[in-house]
Amino acid sequence: MARAGGITNAVNVGIAVQADWEDREFISSLNVRRLFEFLLQFEATTKSKLACLNEKLDVLERRLEVLEVQISTATSNPSVFT
Amino acid sequence: MAIPVEEAIAALSTFSLEDEQPDMQGLSAVLSIERCATSSPTEYADVSAYRLSLTEDTKAINQLNTLIKDGKEMLSVLYTYRSCVKALPQLPDSMKHNQADLYLETYQVLDLEMSRLREIQRWQASAASKLAADMQRFSRPERLINGPTITHFWSILKLLDVLVQLDHLKNAKASIPNDFSWYKRTFTQVSIQWQDTDTMREELDDLQIFLSTRWAILLNLHAEMFRANTVEDILQVLIVFCVESLELDFALLFPERHMLLRVLPVLVVLATSSEKDAESLYRRVKVNRLTSIFKNDPVIPAFPDLHLSPVAILKELSMYFPSFSSQTRFLTLPAPHEILHRELQEYKRHYLVVNCIGTIRAEHDDFSIRFASAVNQVINLKSTEASNPDWCREVKGNMYDMVIEGFQLLSRWTGRVWEQCAWKFSRPCKDPVTSDSIRGSTTFFDYEKVVRWNYTSDERKALLELVSYIKSVGSMMQRCDTLVADALWETIHVEVQDFVQDKLDTMLRTTFRKKKDLSRILSDMRTLSADWMANTNKHDAELHVSHQEGEMSRPNIFYPRPVALTAAQVHCLQFLICELVSGGNLRKHGGLFGNSGSGIAVDDLKRLETFFYKLSFFLHILDYTATISALMDLGFLWFREFYLESSRVIQFPIECSLPWMLVDNVIESQDPSLLQSILMPFDIYNDAAQYALTILKQRFLYDEIEAEVDLCFDQLLYRLTEIIFSYYKSRAASDLLDQTFLASCNDEDKYFVKPILFNEILKLTRVKLLGRTIDLRSLLTQRLNKIIRDNIDFLFERYESQGLCAIVELQQLLDVLKHTHNLLSKDLELDSFNLMLNEMQENLSLISYSSRLASQIWTEMQNDFFPNFILCNTTQRFIRSIKGARQAPQRAPVSNVKSYFFCGSQDLNAAYHNLAGMYSEFFGIPHMFAVVQLIGLRSLPWIIRAILDHIAIKVNEIVPKIYGLQDALPKSIGLLPFDGGVAGSQKIIHELLTWGTKSELKAEVLQSLKEVGSALYWTSLLDIVLRETDTMQFIQTAPWLGLTIGSDGQLREVDSGDSPLVSLFKSAKAAIVSNETCQNPNSFHVMSKQAEAADIIYKKNINSASVLEYALAFTSAALDKHYSKLSANPKTGFIDITTSKDFYRIFSGLQFEYLEEIVLDSTSKKLDSLGDSVAWAGCTIIYLLGQQLHFELFDFSYQFLNIAEVENAAMAQTQSFDRAKSANHSQGYESLLEAMKKARRLNNHVFSMLRARCPLEEKIACAIKQSGAPQPRITFVNTLSAFETLPQKDP
Repeated sequence: MARAGGITNAVNVGIAVQADWEDREFISSLNVRRLFEFLLQFEATTKSKLACLNEKLDVLERRLEVLEVQISTATSNPSVFT
Repeated sequence: MAIPVEEAIAALSTFSLEDEQPDMQGLSAVLSIERCATSSPTEYADVSAYRLSLTEDTKAINQLNTLIKDGKEMLSVLYTYRSCVKALPQLPDSMKHNQADLYLETYQVLDLEMSRLREIQRWQASAASKLAADMQRFSRPERLINGPTITHFWSILKLLDVLVQLDHLKNAKASIPNDFSWYKRTFTQVSIQWQDTDTMREELDDLQIFLSTRWAILLNLHAEMFRANTVEDILQVLIVFCVESLELDFALLFPERHMLLRVLPVLVVLATSSEKDAESLYRRVKVNRLTSIFKNDPVIPAFPDLHLSPVAILKELSMYFPSFSSQTRFLTLPAPHEILHRELQEYKRHYLVVNCIGTIRAEHDDFSIRFASAVNQVINLKSTEASNPDWCREVKGNMYDMVIEGFQLLSRWTGRVWEQCAWKFSRPCKDPVTSDSIRGSTTFFDYEKVVRWNYTSDERKALLELVSYIKSVGSMMQRCDTLVADALWETIHVEVQDFVQDKLDTMLRTTFRKKKDLSRILSDMRTLSADWMANTNKHDAELHVSHQEGEMSRPNIFYPRPVALTAAQVHCLQFLICELVSGGNLRKHGGLFGNSGSGIAVDDLKRLETFFYKLSFFLHILDYTATISALMDLGFLWFREFYLESSRVIQFPIECSLPWMLVDNVIESQDPSLLQSILMPFDIYNDAAQYALTILKQRFLYDEIEAEVDLCFDQLLYRLTEIIFSYYKSRAASDLLDQTFLASCNDEDKYFVKPILFNEILKLTRVKLLGRTIDLRSLLTQRLNKIIRDNIDFLFERYESQGLCAIVELQQLLDVLKHTHNLLSKDLELDSFNLMLNEMQENLSLISYSSRLASQIWTEMQNDFFPNFILCNTTQRFIRSIKGARQAPQRAPVSNVKSYFFCGSQDLNAAYHNLAGMYSEFFGIPHMFAVVQLIGLRSLPWIIRAILDHIAIKVNEIVPKIYGLQDALPKSIGLLPFDGGVAGSQKIIHELLTWGTKSELKAEVLQSLKEVGSALYWTSLLDIVLRETDTMQFIQTAPWLGLTIGSDGQLREVDSGDSPLVSLFKSAKAAIVSNETCQNPNSFHVMSKQAEAADIIYKKNINSASVLEYALAFTSAALDKHYSKLSANPKTGFIDITTSKDFYRIFSGLQFEYLEEIVLDSTSKKLDSLGDSVAWAGCTIIYLLGQQLHFELFDFSYQFLNIAEVENAAMAQTQSFDRAKSANHSQGYESLLEAMKKARRLNNHVFSMLRARCPLEEKIACAIKQSGAPQPRITFVNTLSAFETLPQKDP
């Protein structure tokens, strides 16, 4: 019966494992997650700010439209003002 | 200089990124890679680095995994297969000759579909043979190779599951054999011209057998496996593994649990292929354990809309596997449809979410709080620099525990949703008609029976609640991914290092000291996962040294690294632990960790077992994001491919769709607690779309989902706007109800509106829907703007259909609407209400002063009010003449009535309707207030002008008619003689009034006079109201203008300088301009100038003229040109008292006859038809013509009254002689005299009012000039300028 536990070169494997731990720590320190999360949050914030701005512009736009209509009633009948 | 990455990343946290949107949706974006730790991203290529001789095993695992991947694609092909035959066109008779072409085309289309089925057939054959070969190779008793590992077990089970599902699906899909037979028919037709079709025919037959045989795949697998009779062992091991995992239920998330439950019955069938095998199986696993598992879960979800029952499968398979049919203990278990009533209740309690929603709610609340506090602790920990390592480890460990708990909760909840669905599918609703009111249709889709009518309202509510919990807990966990990742990895690192460095060390020194083989395994475990150098990073020289000196002497202290294990490490560790406990012997009796023969101490075994199961959970934690999104995925609630096929429709309506049913439930119930979750069901659509694209890989499904979402979202938006609007409307209406009245009301509760929190929904600016970002807030704003406009329009329309008196109701409703707008504006940026009102009033033009409402009011007055309303002087009201409309105005009825256009709720509508009802029958002061408020100062002048013109027109109309009446009178009329008594004078008057033939003319004059009188009285009402509003405004503005009222009651300016308003702005300007930092002083100059302008405007407004006086002056002017005709010029210069041409004579005669008519014919409605306004008009004209004194002296009625008085006095003297006679004498005249007295009182009232408002002294003084001609013109100082500038209409 072939028993398990056949690590043939335990010392080398041990050294390699150790190096592997350290390499992976380095990789995780690059913090891709944080970058991604930042981007997500940034997007969310920017979008709400834009939505807020859009809302204000909408209101102004509609008000402007009304004013334009009012003015057009006046300008289309100049005779009234002479 | 380049900035180091770490610093740059740290700098990111200095950004302030506040996001005001509340969380009302699930996850929107997930960063996740295709492969995750649970299925090794490197395909276990790194396993060989650990030199455990697992090459063969790894290869086998990868082969199986590839098969699983392919198999899953086959599954989605089969699941999403839709019948082509249904779509095939039928040729009309005229084109029958083209039949052959059609066959060819059909064949080509179907061939493509059939090639896919053929591929499935081929794949299952190869998969079965590979699986069988794999199992045989790894179950050789001689163990030439290492394995199978636990990962290998999982792969085998997963592949088996894929095969079982495929088989189940193939059995369920009826369209496939259908399509196939059509294909075969076209093939026979098409292949006539082909040569050598034998192989194709054979292939076809093969495929036909495969498709039409139930359980063909399992039968084939069975045959493959038992070609060489060596797989029983491994089957038994797999069964043991399944049963143990299911019983322990620790490391299993619901997908794995369901998978094991699906596979287990098949494994049992395969493992009991002979009596001997069965016995040896039961020796390892008691039958009871198996039956109890089958009994616990009678239905298991297999596909979104397809369930699977272990017992039913066992029963069905027993027909195909004769050897299994003797296993009666399984076959006597009840299938889902055979479950007895009592047990059914038990199962219902278990399966239906509604029965345990209370517990779930408590779990959710408890967990959210604890999780949030754990996260806070982690944040806290990060912000403190130097921290105690023990505390640090505790906080992180706590976080780790919370995450595990969260995963288990999510898994349990989502599993519940799946199971409830499966249960519902297995028990369709029996009689949908009784469950709800249905319009007309009597046929139902099966899908409606299992979904639409199968969930009660409570169940929908509970389901929605659960969905919200899943989504909110999931997103809460996902959001802190970055924050907790380090803590989780560190904890895992600690756990592993603690075990391999510490626990194993102890074990090596105690239990395993004597056992070379086993201690070798232990040291291998240490080699491949220990991180000895973790502590050296911390520059702790002392520790480093002590570690170097002797690790035996003291427990290792290591510093955790935020680095987790790899999948390969977990895989190897699990393998080694298995080796350790089983001694490499698969045939070992009992379970994996059953203590027998290995000679390991119970404690150590326990430790190993715990660590073993922890290892398998590590992988889920490493896959944090992927695990959460898998556990949150509720997309299956939408899919219905199986039912679509059986119902033979292209798609079901949205009412049958579970996500929409949930939304609809919220809308219908308007449960305030559910409204916050109204967007959660849309996450189901998001999930479904994701599932359709990435797993099923079917574009058409995505399109269908997209179409449904578009529809649903529109619906939602529409309904939501209505709900929000009616809620705010009813709140406004309830606010505006009189509170004291409410307090004395018996049932005031029904006027109270229960608060609902909408402001969270109104804040949503980013709703994620199928990858689109939707600004819900702006959409709602848009729609609410529109609905308010529609409402204004509706109110006007309604008013237009009701008449003048409804103006009070209009004002009330507009007030409610305005208040609604006010309340909504607190949360939303709506257009200003006045702007909308002006827009809907068509009142935007700068050059027109009329408006929709003003012109409507005027039209009403002209067409209805003046002709049909009569005045009651005492009550100051106009009421509609009972005689009925003279010219009944046509009014269009208002259609499309929605309760939210009034006051929002039925009760409030009724209340307001009653309130308005009190004002609907007359026109008086309240109505005038409403008119003034609604049409405002802008359009009032327009309407006043229109009324004045009306008066002028009417006066011009009357005059020629009066000429006609004048002609009929005798040339001179003297005083009535007293000697004739009452009766005699009446006779004389009748003789004088010889216009009997001109009754029509008379009536017309009276009517016109009535209209003039009404108009005058209307302006007097307007005057009263305007006075009041002006006074109100004055009180408000006076302090700003520096005006006070002196002791003499006159206005006084406080001082000679600027008014407070101006000086305030001036000093503000001075202060700001003197400040050098001021950027833009110009605007303050402008402001100061504007204050001065405002000052002037408001001061001028204070001395506003009286509308009534102005109207009287206007009338007078209108009369002027007729003066000579209505007032005889005395030629002698003396007043001619016998003239009959003066207007007062005419009016006097009219009045006398009119009074007589009333008395004579008291039942007639004459009085009603004219009212008091005739007197108003007559007296005004008489007064303005300067004939008041004449009238008072010579009026027939007045004279008549005098005669009656004299007669009465005489009567009193003779009373003593004959009492009875006197009583009889004045009889018959009492009522006439009474009416005359009344008329005199009214006339006197009008005259006194006229004297007050329009003094004529000037006119009387110059009434007779030297030339003898009177001065016709009356001048009024206060209205002169206005009067002169007014253009008059030509008569």
